[in-house]
Amino acid sequence: MITFEAVTKRYPDGTVAVDALNLEVPEGRTMVLVGPSGCGKTTTLRMINRLVEPTQGRILLDGTDVKSRNPAQLRRGIGYVIQQTGLFPHRTVEDNIATVPVLTGWPRKKARARARELLALVGLDQELAKRYPHQLSGGQQQRVGVARALAADPPVLLMDEPFSAVDPVVRASLQDQLLSLQSELRKTIVLVTHDIEEAIKVGDVVALFRPHGTLAQVAPPEELLAAPADDYVAGFVGFDRGIRRLSFVPTAGLVLDASPVLPADVTVAKALGAGQPWICVTDADRRPRGWAEAAALAGTPADTPLGQVATEPVGHTFTVGTDSLRAALDAAVLSPAGQAVGVDSDGRVLGVATFDQIRAAIQAAGTPAADARLDQRIPEGPRS
Amino acid sequence: MMWSWIPGNWSLIWHLTWENAKLGVLPALYGLVLSLPLGVIAARWRWFYPPVLTVINILYAVPSLALFIALIPAFGLTDTTVIIALTVFSLCVILPNVVAGLRAVPAPVRQAATAMGYGQLRRLVTVELPLAVPLIIAGLRVGVVSGISLASVGQLIGVSSLGYLFIDGLQRSFPTEIYVGLVLVIALALVCDLILVAVRRVLTPWTAGPRESRRARAGRLVKVAG
Amino acid sequence: MSFFNWAWDWVTTDANWHGEDSIPQQVLAHLGYSALPLLIAAVIAIPVGAAIGHRGGKAAVAVSNIANAWRSIPTLGLLTLLAVFLGFSPLTWLLPLVVLAIPPILANTAEGVAGVDPGVRDAAAGVGMTTWQQVARVEVPIAMPLILVGLRTSAIFVVATATIAAYIGLGGLGRFIIDGLDSNQYGPVAGGALLVVVLAVIVLALFAGLTWLLTPAGLRKQAKTE
Repeated sequence: MITFEAVTKRYPDGTVAVDALNLEVPEGRTMVLVGPSGCGKTTTLRMINRLVEPTQGRILLDGTDVKSRNPAQLRRGIGYVIQQTGLFPHRTVEDNIATVPVLTGWPRKKARARARELLALVGLDQELAKRYPHQLSGGQQQRVGVARALAADPPVLLMDEPFSAVDPVVRASLQDQLLSLQSELRKTIVLVTHDIEEAIKVGDVVALFRPHGTLAQVAPPEELLAAPADDYVAGFVGFDRGIRRLSFVPTAGLVLDASPVLPADVTVAKALGAGQPWICVTDADRRPRGWAEAAALAGTPADTPLGQVATEPVGHTFTVGTDSLRAALDAAVLSPAGQAVGVDSDGRVLGVATFDQIRAAIQAAGTPAADARLDQRIPEGPRS
Repeated sequence: MMWSWIPGNWSLIWHLTWENAKLGVLPALYGLVLSLPLGVIAARWRWFYPPVLTVINILYAVPSLALFIALIPAFGLTDTTVIIALTVFSLCVILPNVVAGLRAVPAPVRQAATAMGYGQLRRLVTVELPLAVPLIIAGLRVGVVSGISLASVGQLIGVSSLGYLFIDGLQRSFPTEIYVGLVLVIALALVCDLILVAVRRVLTPWTAGPRESRRARAGRLVKVAG
Repeated sequence: MSFFNWAWDWVTTDANWHGEDSIPQQVLAHLGYSALPLLIAAVIAIPVGAAIGHRGGKAAVAVSNIANAWRSIPTLGLLTLLAVFLGFSPLTWLLPLVVLAIPPILANTAEGVAGVDPGVRDAAAGVGMTTWQQVARVEVPIAMPLILVGLRTSAIFVVATATIAAYIGLGGLGRFIIDGLDSNQYGPVAGGALLVVVLAVIVLALFAGLTWLLTPAGLRKQAKTE
């Protein structure tokens, strides 16, 4: 656990980067420091491993003042990932990752073996081990940077805009990787970013900074979305926060209607008899094939099986229970029938949800329950 | 240290200083004049540069005294010998800086100039060369300072320079002369250096800020290599 | 006859290869006069340069200016001065040559270390390396190509200037030159000069090889791809 007690950083020319900061970083969680340029978030991060020394106040790491520890020793127990990666160009990928173990006295062979383990952990091919950093792509280099930070298995990981220098597709993949690593490793992570979306996606707790080194709000992401402390926070969080907040609401309780769902071998006559304006046609495996509009079926011979009728595409589906309400809402918006198709984890249709049913679920969600959500990471769904 | 010697030999001292200055500054200027066109070609046609660079590196390794000597059969024991040899030396120092300076002009700047309708020559003269000035002057500084110092060696083959004071001082075991020579060579070189720094400031008012871009610094390294 | 004719005739005269003050002897002596100052200068300048480059700040900026000013010191002047006071001691030639060799090594080491990518330097501190470890394990290896350029430049200067040392009575290849000039024999003058040039080019080649050997593999490959 990391605690900031009234920490101030003032530079000789008078600028105050961090102003009487009090902050507690929960153990085993990801805290994201986010804010505009120059708000002091990076300075705050770098005070934890003493790359910057506070002018006033103190920082406690597991109860001990970081100042009381030898800087080099302190840093060997803290993982550090930066935007430019800072990989040593004159060493192989493997030796880069093995840096801290070697520094703490491991025999080189053992350190290299550990490096290879970490390569696998961050999802990189073993054959990259003997390459040099400049031979890797930006995304690969960042992963090596993370591997290097994790090599000595430090309890704390500091990350300074780690994903800002890569393109959005790579960035999303790196963020997902971080989430999956964290669910396995449960490190205390402090991550700095200027991207509020990244903060919301990746953080268990978000600390939003004001422009001159003070905090505006410290809260779990959906609380930030649902209940911003003031106009500044609301403005920073951005437009659309109501809908974005739905990413944190599960679809577990959503009521589904199975009656519009009919397999392909059912005849048109029987389908029209069911009285539904739109029919979700599935194949033999209960996988969705398309939507058929009842009105359009009027001229079709009564005994035609639904499988032979022209259908409109489903759009996309949402996985009941694991996907969020936002995914369900989006599915409904995309669907020609105005109904979202809910499937199970194998892709089989369980039922459909209309806008009305989704609306009901949204209103039932109300204001976010604090702790219950902290342990639930709901995936954004394929679209986001 | 016999101070009285100085006023007594004022005309000698002045004459030698003037000679040394000529022998140091002229070759550097000639070197600049030669380096500019060669540098422009090398910056533009990349294949041209590596062979030129190899020749230059070898020439640079040639000790000045040896070069003085090599030129004696052709030019005799005259000023010309020293000037030609030091011009070669200056070329070795300034040309890499011209090339580096032109190459350090950011591609976006060059492209913007072209997009605005600048012809190649106009772009070169009004955009690229001015931006390359800091590095070119850095090379010129090395050329001038080294040249003034090396010109004193010319005395060994009988070409008049402040080196005379060193040799005469040794022969007569008269350190005063040597001190005077040392001080004058150094002072002369530093004055020229400062003049060049001032010239650079005048030519590049935009570099007045203390921050140096990494590009500019990387380019500066070429000068240091000399 | 041209320079090369004179030189070639003299160098191919067998008599010059035997006996006292023969070519092989003077070449060896010359190497000695060159290698020792270079070594001493490197031992002094590399650590100091690395420290300055690591700390950055005003000292780092000042280094290149100081190095340039340093170039103005005429070695002949220093040599003769020390010869007057110290006569024939080793310090007479050692001191000026070490003084000559320091600036390029110092300036290049400082620039090289200071020029290491800031992200890499931050990471080196961040992973928990002590200052010494950061400099020795990361910054100096990465700066190695530049440091070697500085060493090479110094080596060339020293080899060239060791020639002049003959003026105060020392051996080395300068002996042939100075003696020849004194006795108006152009043969040994040209021959000595040619040998010095050959030696300098050999030094160049040696350093090219050394650079290839000492550049960390990662940087070597990177340089190729650029």
